[in-house]
Formats: sequence, structure tokens, C-alpha cells
Amino acid sequence: MNLLQVRDLRKEYRQPGGAVPALCLDFLDARAGEALAVTGPSGSGKTTLLRLLAASIRPTRGKILFAGQDLGALGEKATAWRARSVGYVFQEMNLLRDFTLRENLLLAAAISGIPPSTARERVLELTRRLGLENRLQHRPSALSLGEQQRAAVARAVLHNPPLLLADEPTASLDAENAGIVLHLLREICAGAGSLLLVATHDESVKKLFPRQVELRRAEGITQ
Amino acid sequence: MKRSVLLRIAVRHLASLPFQTFSVIAVVAFSSGLAVALFLLAQGLRLGVIRAVEPFELIVGARGSPYQLVLNTVFLQDAPVGNLSRDFLERLSQDSRIRLAVPLALGDFYRGLPVIGTAGNILEIRPSPASPLWLRPARGRWWEKDFEAVLGAGAAGESGLEIGDIFRTAHGTSLGAAWGGAQGHERDFRVVGVAEPVHGPYDRAIFVSLESIWEEHAGHAGEVTAILAYPASYTAAYSLDVSLRRDAQGQLIFPAQTAIRLFALLGRGEEFLSVIVFAVAACALLTTLLILYWSAATRGKERALLHALGVPRGDLVFLSWLEGALTLLAGALAGGLLGRAGAFAAFAALGEATAMDSHVPLTPQEGAVPFILLSIGSLGVFLAAMAEKTYDLT
Repeated sequence: MNLLQVRDLRKEYRQPGGAVPALCLDFLDARAGEALAVTGPSGSGKTTLLRLLAASIRPTRGKILFAGQDLGALGEKATAWRARSVGYVFQEMNLLRDFTLRENLLLAAAISGIPPSTARERVLELTRRLGLENRLQHRPSALSLGEQQRAAVARAVLHNPPLLLADEPTASLDAENAGIVLHLLREICAGAGSLLLVATHDESVKKLFPRQVELRRAEGITQ
Repeated sequence: MKRSVLLRIAVRHLASLPFQTFSVIAVVAFSSGLAVALFLLAQGLRLGVIRAVEPFELIVGARGSPYQLVLNTVFLQDAPVGNLSRDFLERLSQDSRIRLAVPLALGDFYRGLPVIGTAGNILEIRPSPASPLWLRPARGRWWEKDFEAVLGAGAAGESGLEIGDIFRTAHGTSLGAAWGGAQGHERDFRVVGVAEPVHGPYDRAIFVSLESIWEEHAGHAGEVTAILAYPASYTAAYSLDVSLRRDAQGQLIFPAQTAIRLFALLGRGEEFLSVIVFAVAACALLTTLLILYWSAATRGKERALLHALGVPRGDLVFLSWLEGALTLLAGALAGGLLGRAGAFAAFAALGEATAMDSHVPLTPQEGAVPFILLSIGSLGVFLAAMAEKTYDLT
């Protein structure tokens, strides 16, 4: 059974000079536990696709069904749905600079509606698994780039989301840390049965994924 | 999202920008503190004057400025207007329109404390028919013969004199006497008692008999500076006023009326100050909004992150508003305390010089400017928060 179904998806951004086509994806099906690399040149709509899947923006045309739910029809409920169902790893780590790592994680848990006691246990479990247990009381500025990105992974998977999206998660990391982060993402998703989509233009990253979605600039898609 | 979580985020944000947060609190505290202090000072002066004037129904003094007569008779400040003759005093004392006439001889001092020559009937004064007696000895006794002295409650503390101590007075201004002016008298006064506090300028006074003063001022024997008069009725008071208008020597004033005229003068000054205070408050508000808006603008990325994590836009607006409102609240509270402290210091200085009781009880009005700043500021912050753009990180 497919967890994700995308049909005839188009996104255009309205600009003063006219509509700018940003994404064209005719068809995509994916199952729970799968890991997909979303690839394509700059401007092909990788980030736009992830934003559509996170229900941050609405499609201009077409449908996205996730677990039977039409994401384009979520309306006001989109933010709450995102908090519950999506884990997002950004290109930049985007941890809150005034909060310690532990507070960053607990805050994300609170936003997702995880009870505090469960959240505390989950934070300990994940940080141990990601090798961050000794960095819990540190602020982001005291963490290395690799640690920050692992922290961002921890935050994204904290609430066991059925959909995990990562936008160029290794762009600012060296090869070793990039390998660690991607391995962790895939391992955690496989364990939790989450669907993982990683946007990347990096050939070495692409090769790590058995299935790839290649986007072309404003022109359909080949799989 | 839980309000407690948003409150924690807001507090952390404010703590992470200590300079901006402190600037806003300081600007709001200064402007609202200024307003509170001015309001309390105006109120305190009014109350102080009302309390000081309360025991005196009519004052009869030599012709001259009525304000000066009030100043030196009620507040024991400034130089006396002039003297009234013994004949005048006797005539007034026997006038049927007067039920009590208390003579005062002013002009002598002991270390800056006014020495008041008066008659024993000063002990009969009641601020109103139902009030207890105005002056009563708290320790020792009232004077019974010449060159015995009773210290006002404040004078006892200020002079360091005790019952049984001997002192000498001097003639002249309080300053001159305090500086050991050359016009010192040669007779000794003995302290025989200390009065209960009257919570007014007379607490700084030293009471002696009229005859003691006359004996020290041989050329002015029988003269008095003023007479505290208590009329038999209101009609009698106005009839006496009419009579004295035709008198070459004396004038009658209603201290309460003079105080009201004084308030009218003060009121004009207050109106002008109020305009300045509101202008300062408006500038403070504008500065506050600019600082808060700028602070919020620097948090655009964090707002975007919180939104991406699932915080609804309404909660983000609330968060921005909460940060502004907390800062304004801290500023308004600090302003209230600063204003109170400033006014308290001013009243303490005034009380030391005049023994005026300018204490103002807590009133809701003193919170008006901090409250207005808080309300308008909160609204402004809310509108600014609404206008903030939430960028999308995803």
C-alpha cells in the first residue's frame, strides 16, 4: 500500500512579471519505510517538492495524498498536521541559538505534542544513539557543524514522524560527517517505518539511495 | 501550543538581547517614572498644604502679601510681614465675633528651628469641632512661666535638646540664626516638655510664652506677628473680614482660600508639566516600538523555524506580543517604583525643611501613565507582531 501518492503536480509562483513554473511532477508513489533521493539541477523544484510535501505551500494543480489525506485541502490544519506528521532537516541546521541542545529538542517535542516525560526519555535515547549525550547542555554555537546536523536529525525524528524530509542535509558537512548523517537518517527511518525523501544534487549522496526521483526544470519527471 | 512554553521562549529571547531589553525597560521606566513622580509631587504638595492649613480657620496679620502671611504663619517660612500692636491684639481678643484668638510672635530661632511666642490658649485649638486638641504635651508638661519652652515633636529630634536642657535663641532669619548670627539673645530657656506630633510645620517649632519674647525684644513689647483667630460663626468671620478691610493695621485671611488660590497657580504649572510628561511618554512609546520591532525583525529566522516545526502563526504573533508586553510591563512597574522613590525622596527633603506632611497614599491615578503606556504599547506591539512577515524555512 502506498503511503504517498502524487498525481499531476504543478507549482507556479506568482511574480509581478507573471507566473514562474517551479515544479512539474506527474507521478510519484512511495511506501512506508522507503528512502528516496530527490535530485535535479538547481531550479528544478527539489525544495518546492519538499515544501509541498510538508504542506507549507499548496499546489497550483494536482494532488498529493499522504496516508489518504489530501495535503492541498488541509488549509488551516496544515501547521498542526506538519507538527504531528513531518520531520524536517533543513540545509542549515537552524537550531534555536538561545537554547541548549536539550531545550531545542524538548521544545520541538512540546510543539509536536509529546508529553514531557516521554519527551525527556526520547531525547536521552536519541542523543545517546547520535553520540550527543555529552552535548545536551551546550548551546548550538558550542557544537561542531557535524554535531549540529546530528542534532537537527534528532529533532526531526523525535516524534517518530511518518514522513521525514531532508533538504540538502549534508551540503555544509565534510564527507565523513555527511556519511554519518545520511546513515543515521536511513537507519532511523527504516527502524520507525518512516518514508524518507532527501533532496540533493550531490552525486555521491544520490548513489546511497536505491530509488531516486529526478526532477527536470519545469518539465515533468523521469523515474 | 501551551502558553507556558511560549512564555519560556519569550523570556529566553528577552534575556538573550540584554541591551535591547534593558533599553526598552529603561525608556519606559524613565518616562512613566517621571509622570508618576510629578503626579505624586503635585498631589503631595496639595495634601501637605491642606494638612498644614487644616488647624487654622482665620489668620489675622499685618497688612502685606497674604501669601507671605500664610508662608510665615502656617509654614513658618519666610520673613514675617510686620507686627500688630498690643491694642490691636486686645481689641480682637475682646471682639464678640471671635471665640478664640491665639497670638503668635515669630522671628526668633534656635539652630534654624522657629521659636514661637504664644499664649496658653494655643492648647485650645481644635482643627475641627469634633477633632481632638491640636497641641498636647507628649512628655513633660506645657510651659507655665516665662523662659520655659516646649519642643515640637520634630524640633526635639532635630535640636537634640532634652527636657531640662537650657538653650538660647537668636533673632533673624532661620539661616542667619543657624549660622550663629550676631543677634543672639542673652536669656536662657529651659525645656520643660515635648509636644505630640501635629504632622505639619509646627512640629519644627519651639513654643515659649509671649512675655518671654517681649522681654527679649524690649522695643517691641506687646506686639505680635499674627493672630490665629477662630470665629464664633461663618457670618462673624465675614463680618470681621469686612471690618478689617477698613482697618489700617491688619488684614484677615482665610488660609483655606489662599491655599485654593495657590493650587490654581500650581495647576497652571502642572498643566504645562503634563504636556511635557505626555510628550516624553509618547517619545518613549515610539522608541520602545522601534526597538521592539527591530528586535523582532532580527528574529525572523527563528520565527520561521518555529513555524516550520509546527508553531501556528497565531502563536508566533502572541509570542512577539508577549515579548513586547513583558518588557513594557517590567518598564511600567519599574517606572511606578522609580516615581514613588523619587517623590518619596523629594517629600523627605521637603519634610526636613518644612516638616510638611506630604505623604500620598497609594492611588489608582498614579498608575495612569504607566497603564496608558502599557496599554498603547501592547496594542502597538500587537500590530507590529501582526505585520511581521513569517518567512518559510521549508
